[in-house]
Amino acid sequence: MSGAKRPQPQSSSAPAFYNNPHVRAVFYQILLVCTLGYLFFVIIANTLANMEARGIKTGFDFLTTTAGFDILMSLIPYDATGTYLDTFFVGLLNTILVSIIGIILATLLGFVMGVAHFSRNWLVSRLAVAYVETFRNIPLLLQIFFWYFAVLAALPSARNSLNLADAFFLNVRGLYLPAPVEEAGATLFYIAIAVAIAAIIWFRRYAKKRQDDEGVQLPVWRISLAILVALPLLASLFGGAPFSFEYPELRGFNFRGGITVIPELMALALALTVYTGAFIAEAVRAGIQAVPHGQTEAARSIGLKESKIMKLIVVPQAMRVIVPLLNSEYQSLVKNSTLATAIGYPDLFTVFVGTSLNQTGQAIEIVFMTLAVYFAVNMTISLLMNIFNRKVSLVERK
Amino acid sequence: MMNNSTPARVFEPKPSQPAPVSTTGPLAWLRNNLFDGPVNSAITVIILAFLLWVIPPLLDWLLWSADFSGTTQSDCTSAGACWVFIQAWSQQLFYGSFPDAELWRINLSLILLAVVLSSPYWLPHTLRNRLDLAMLVVYPFVAIAILDGRLLGLEYVSTDFWGGFSLNLLLASASIILGMPLGFLWALGRRSNMPMARSISVILIEFFRGVPVLALFFMGSVMLPLFFPEGTNVDKLLRVWIVLTLFMAGYMAEVYRGGFQAIPAGQYEASAALGLSYWQTTLLVILPQVIKVSMPNILATSIMLFKNTTFLLIIGIFEVLSTAQTALTNSNWLGGYATEAYLFVGVVYWICCFGMSRVAANIEKKLDTSHKS
Repeated sequence: MSGAKRPQPQSSSAPAFYNNPHVRAVFYQILLVCTLGYLFFVIIANTLANMEARGIKTGFDFLTTTAGFDILMSLIPYDATGTYLDTFFVGLLNTILVSIIGIILATLLGFVMGVAHFSRNWLVSRLAVAYVETFRNIPLLLQIFFWYFAVLAALPSARNSLNLADAFFLNVRGLYLPAPVEEAGATLFYIAIAVAIAAIIWFRRYAKKRQDDEGVQLPVWRISLAILVALPLLASLFGGAPFSFEYPELRGFNFRGGITVIPELMALALALTVYTGAFIAEAVRAGIQAVPHGQTEAARSIGLKESKIMKLIVVPQAMRVIVPLLNSEYQSLVKNSTLATAIGYPDLFTVFVGTSLNQTGQAIEIVFMTLAVYFAVNMTISLLMNIFNRKVSLVERK
Repeated sequence: MMNNSTPARVFEPKPSQPAPVSTTGPLAWLRNNLFDGPVNSAITVIILAFLLWVIPPLLDWLLWSADFSGTTQSDCTSAGACWVFIQAWSQQLFYGSFPDAELWRINLSLILLAVVLSSPYWLPHTLRNRLDLAMLVVYPFVAIAILDGRLLGLEYVSTDFWGGFSLNLLLASASIILGMPLGFLWALGRRSNMPMARSISVILIEFFRGVPVLALFFMGSVMLPLFFPEGTNVDKLLRVWIVLTLFMAGYMAEVYRGGFQAIPAGQYEASAALGLSYWQTTLLVILPQVIKVSMPNILATSIMLFKNTTFLLIIGIFEVLSTAQTALTNSNWLGGYATEAYLFVGVVYWICCFGMSRVAANIEKKLDTSHKS
């Protein structure tokens, strides 16, 4: 024990109140809110003054007035007598159409190219790398222009169109496909498909239960496929052919009948597919590389086949890395589809923000509606992907 | 007597095994990598046939039977590509319609950009930390002063004449440079304990990330003028720059967020134990680690922004793609040179972006101090 007196802490000077973190936090936030509030006030005041000076109307009344312009392509009946609200829906549906096409094709292409990177065939893996490095590093708009102005514009005229089995025609004006027309047996056919899907779902559950209980693996894929083919086939045997096809025919200078895919849609879908596919391929590669090599080795050592290793060991683990990346790729695909406006594909942006805004001048309302739509679409994608993500993510100990 | 009739076992050497098929050399490489089983062989043959079918005509069109010299459309006589077109428009494609006598100003600002960006490599350690950031932040304004010319007593060049690929480069770098610190602030705000600061940051980040870039540009060109007091005329390029910077900041904030999540809590606790203040902790301890962790994403985002500068075509800014489109519709050049033009711009962009991604890989390797195997 030392007899020395320990110096007492001098508690007389409590920290000044302005050094209190809580006080500071409140102060900073008040400052921030005031600054932003002032900024907003100035912006809104300026905007109102400007709009009045330029004679811009406000409100959503314009939505019910006649638009008076034609749209190149619409999935719902539309002509120049439609209202601005109709143009909104036409544009929205066209945006959704090109997004869905782009997402499906880009996912297929991306997965093939991402897996091809690991091919034992040197040429295949080099080609996959070349594809990714080429298309990832070139601006999307340039690719859209390339497909539209350089590739599709070089196709032959309607008279000399590329012809496949007299049913598919490709020319400078677009791609012409046979259109299915419902016949008498169609209802039975639809019912058969619904029954087949229900049967497959039931069968998969049953197969899983069998495997859990008895360890027997049933050939799920083959039987599912058989059900899916056989039931509709039987339905069309009994109920008569469900569809007849309306083939496109050359009349005068152009094709009539069938389904027409306009070149704008083709160019946009192609460019979105190829561009996003490169990013998805990178995501798939990253996902597969993230699976520790020991997993594959362990799988080999218990004698699994290479195809089973991929399906049961590698892909499920890789999906945990891939799915969040896919989520953002899909969202950027939808956002990038606005570039349609550069080649005149009538998507929401072209029709609504382009033409409708030009005619009505109601910038605030139209931009607001459009942004809300893109937010909503992206939220939907995010929601779906998060549900999917929960399915593939690792279930940890609780 | 024992019957010793068992014949003596004669040593009979087994036939020597055949030499192993060569495991090195070009033949073995071919066998292992291209003709590894029937399926692979078939794929190889198909791909080779495809390449043989595509590449020779392509090379022929690109090079062997292409026209390289001349000044007008009439010099393009052969069946190949017409590179004369690119040559004739090269100045426009790179410099826009900047006056001939003033082109040195664009060159000077590009050289300055290169100097500023490469400075971390050659500045001595002691100066680096002090000068780099200052140089970076000042650069965009210096470049604008040089190009505009009024401040420096040079001839005034209105932004209407700025254009071409140099505009893409300068706009992209100016907005990346300012977007990065702004994004860091937003990311800090998102992690902050202050509810107001947090929600404002979240709204800003989600807005600029959730909206299509094109819509942002559109708002910049249509709505931003409404926000300024009546009668003020804000330059079109300035508005674009504001939009690009905010866009970059939104994306960078998310990149930093990923970086923040990778920093162990111990780092904060250690710096708190040392008695460092919030800003000291953030700038001296956390920021360097965040930057190290998120370097690949920072460069990927920069590359994305650089590619997105082509979208400015849609709001009527004469960047390189827009110049190419103008050239294609020029009445003296109606021979349909779209492929040449897009190929050229594509290659230029590809070189820049691929180069940047190589630099990213290089930096990543340099900064890698972890022990991942």
